[in-house]
Amino acid sequence: MSTTTRRIVAGVSGLAATSFLAGCAKDAPQDTWQPKGSNAKIIDDLQQPVFAIAGVVGVIVFCVVVYCIIKFRDRGQAMPEQTHGKPALEIGMTILPALILAGVGVFTFRTVFDLSKTSDTQMVVNVTGQQWWWEYDYPAQPELGITAPIITSGQMVIPVGTKVLLRETSRDVIHSYWIPALNGKRDAVPGRVHTLRLDADKPGIYAGQCTEFCGLSHANMRMETIALSKEDFAAWVANQLADAKSPAENTLAKEGEAVFLNQCVRCHQVNGLKKADGTPAIAAPDENVWSGAAPNLTHLMSRNTFAGASWDLLNKKCRADVWGASSETVGKKYLAGVSEECLNQTDLRRWLRNAPAMKPMYADPKQLTPTNGKYRGMPNLGLSEDDIDKLVAYLSTLK
Amino acid sequence: MFTPGSKFFLGLTGFSLAVCVLYIALVDNATGGAVALLSIAAASGVVAGLSLFNRDGEVAVGDTAAPAGAEQLPSSMWPLIASVGFVGVVAGLITHPIVFFLGLIALLAAGTEWLVQSWSEGASSDKAYNASLRGRMLHPLEFPVLALVGLGIIILSFSRVMLAVSRDAGAIIFIVAGAVVLFVGAIFALKPSLKKTLVVGICVASAVGVAASGIAAASNGLRDDLVKAKKEHHFSHKECGEEEGEHFDHLAEGTISMRSNPIATVELRDGKLTARELGVDKVTQTITFPRSNDATIIFRNKDEKEARLTAYLGTKAVQDGVVEEVLNCTQMIGIDHEQALTFKIAKPSMASEKPYTLTVPGLEGQSIEIMVP
Repeated sequence: MSTTTRRIVAGVSGLAATSFLAGCAKDAPQDTWQPKGSNAKIIDDLQQPVFAIAGVVGVIVFCVVVYCIIKFRDRGQAMPEQTHGKPALEIGMTILPALILAGVGVFTFRTVFDLSKTSDTQMVVNVTGQQWWWEYDYPAQPELGITAPIITSGQMVIPVGTKVLLRETSRDVIHSYWIPALNGKRDAVPGRVHTLRLDADKPGIYAGQCTEFCGLSHANMRMETIALSKEDFAAWVANQLADAKSPAENTLAKEGEAVFLNQCVRCHQVNGLKKADGTPAIAAPDENVWSGAAPNLTHLMSRNTFAGASWDLLNKKCRADVWGASSETVGKKYLAGVSEECLNQTDLRRWLRNAPAMKPMYADPKQLTPTNGKYRGMPNLGLSEDDIDKLVAYLSTLK
Repeated sequence: MFTPGSKFFLGLTGFSLAVCVLYIALVDNATGGAVALLSIAAASGVVAGLSLFNRDGEVAVGDTAAPAGAEQLPSSMWPLIASVGFVGVVAGLITHPIVFFLGLIALLAAGTEWLVQSWSEGASSDKAYNASLRGRMLHPLEFPVLALVGLGIIILSFSRVMLAVSRDAGAIIFIVAGAVVLFVGAIFALKPSLKKTLVVGICVASAVGVAASGIAAASNGLRDDLVKAKKEHHFSHKECGEEEGEHFDHLAEGTISMRSNPIATVELRDGKLTARELGVDKVTQTITFPRSNDATIIFRNKDEKEARLTAYLGTKAVQDGVVEEVLNCTQMIGIDHEQALTFKIAKPSMASEKPYTLTVPGLEGQSIEIMVP
């Protein structure tokens, strides 16, 4: 074997081995081959045999091509006799793929209909995409303990074993919602409402990502679905229904509340927050943000992430503890929220200091003419370090 | 070194540039004039170069004359089209982008044709071979473009006719035109011996007829009901007072876009107002509406008389100390008819003193609450 041939063989083998080993990665939360819900299993039941058939056909074609290349390579031999057409072979090679495709088509159609079934829905969540985060609002559903609408963002919480219907839409451009472990993708389109069904077999944290290019920070538009046991879900609902409590007087957090009222409430709602005159503080993101909405922060510290689920509110150690928890313990650990010891102060402070530096957004005032002066994403508020200290203290109270 | 002609054009170029600089320095909003002066400078500069290159067209000692009886090359229309295109580009810069793009297209097309034609004419002494060479290069480009332009003109013209005549006349024209095309096509297919000139004549006359009808119809404008419908704001009706609109969806769910679009369907039946949210198979008196997002509700009238749905969307300040209710309504919907109502609520329910509601005027004690989280 010549040196060149040896190098080619080594290169191809290395590539094949790398690809093969990549499939063994353990930390792959968006792996499409590990279904954790009934709809994801329906998809998996289709994709496994289709992949097997496609794999077999692919290997056969590849081998035949390689055989022909080697066997009939130019060695200076005479031109063989040229013939035109071979009807039996041509008809056979047309009918066989047609039959394979027809077979795959039948099962694909059945899968599509199975996935679109919504008649046995047990719970509804409205999902709204915008640049670059996801908002979830839960309509009142007394049978599930949701006696008034709940609104949250980044992480959607569902009860385990419950068929949840997502009603997806968008406030600005087309986004696409995808939690690979629980179901396929569904586009969120402005002006339309699309439905997608999810359910999870076991409690756990299931990661996803926007899969329709939606602008500058598309890659930073992530989301998680948290499946909790029925009891844990009831506890989560009870917490979400409560208003935020004002911090005690003469504390740093109380000073942070004042900063929040002065700066943040223009866009971010905190239910229960009152202005100095005692009237409720109502956010006006419709006047400041292009999409007309900003995340509701009433229970910020009950979530593990912020800024479109792209950064952790938990520090590394605590995050590993929650994400690595077993299905029996993940609920309790998630419901514990973000404690003072676990808060990822570094990233939260960086975000408050200059959000567009962490996540690309159209936040430069010079570039806001096309949006009538409104921001896409959070701008740099020019907060002082003192204000940031106060805000972090206040945000930490939003459990 | 410089010929008299080139001196003249070089002088014109320099003068234009100098005037342009002064013009920009002294006149506000000088874009249009500056473009015109720069264009003059560019054009005279090119002519100066040409003039210099061919020594003002004078025959110098040593030039070889063309042999007697040498064949003249055919005249070409491409320089003319190229110059029209150039004028279009320049004029478009100061008038309208469409003029600019049409000029650019003419300039590029003429440039390409001119280039390939000149190249093919010098390929050999055989005219037929040169023509076939040109065809091989340009026909794959010319035929699809010409077909696209021709079809586009016919389709656009026909659509103008259909929008100008009444609905009934439109249906008759469509049937007759289709039948004529089928009949004539069948004749052409069954009689291949027909003279080519006759076939071409019929096709050209038909195309010209359709184009002329289209121009006449376009200058006449849309038919009356379309003009009126255009003035009405479909899907965002605000007719909570005197009825004006006539042209709206009487069966909104019958349109494909509405089937998966509405967030809820509100139904009036036997004097009761109920709602069904998308994906939930039960009736409700409360619907959740997305905040700061346009969303659509379908109102279906199954009652025994006409009715309209009114959405109360809070209040707005119209002047200091004066606020008025924000309402959005469907038209009066006939029995068994339905209409889509699209609106947006920017503030959550907690920001409104009164709950956001959907009601039917005259129907007491019945309402659907809109919850905005």
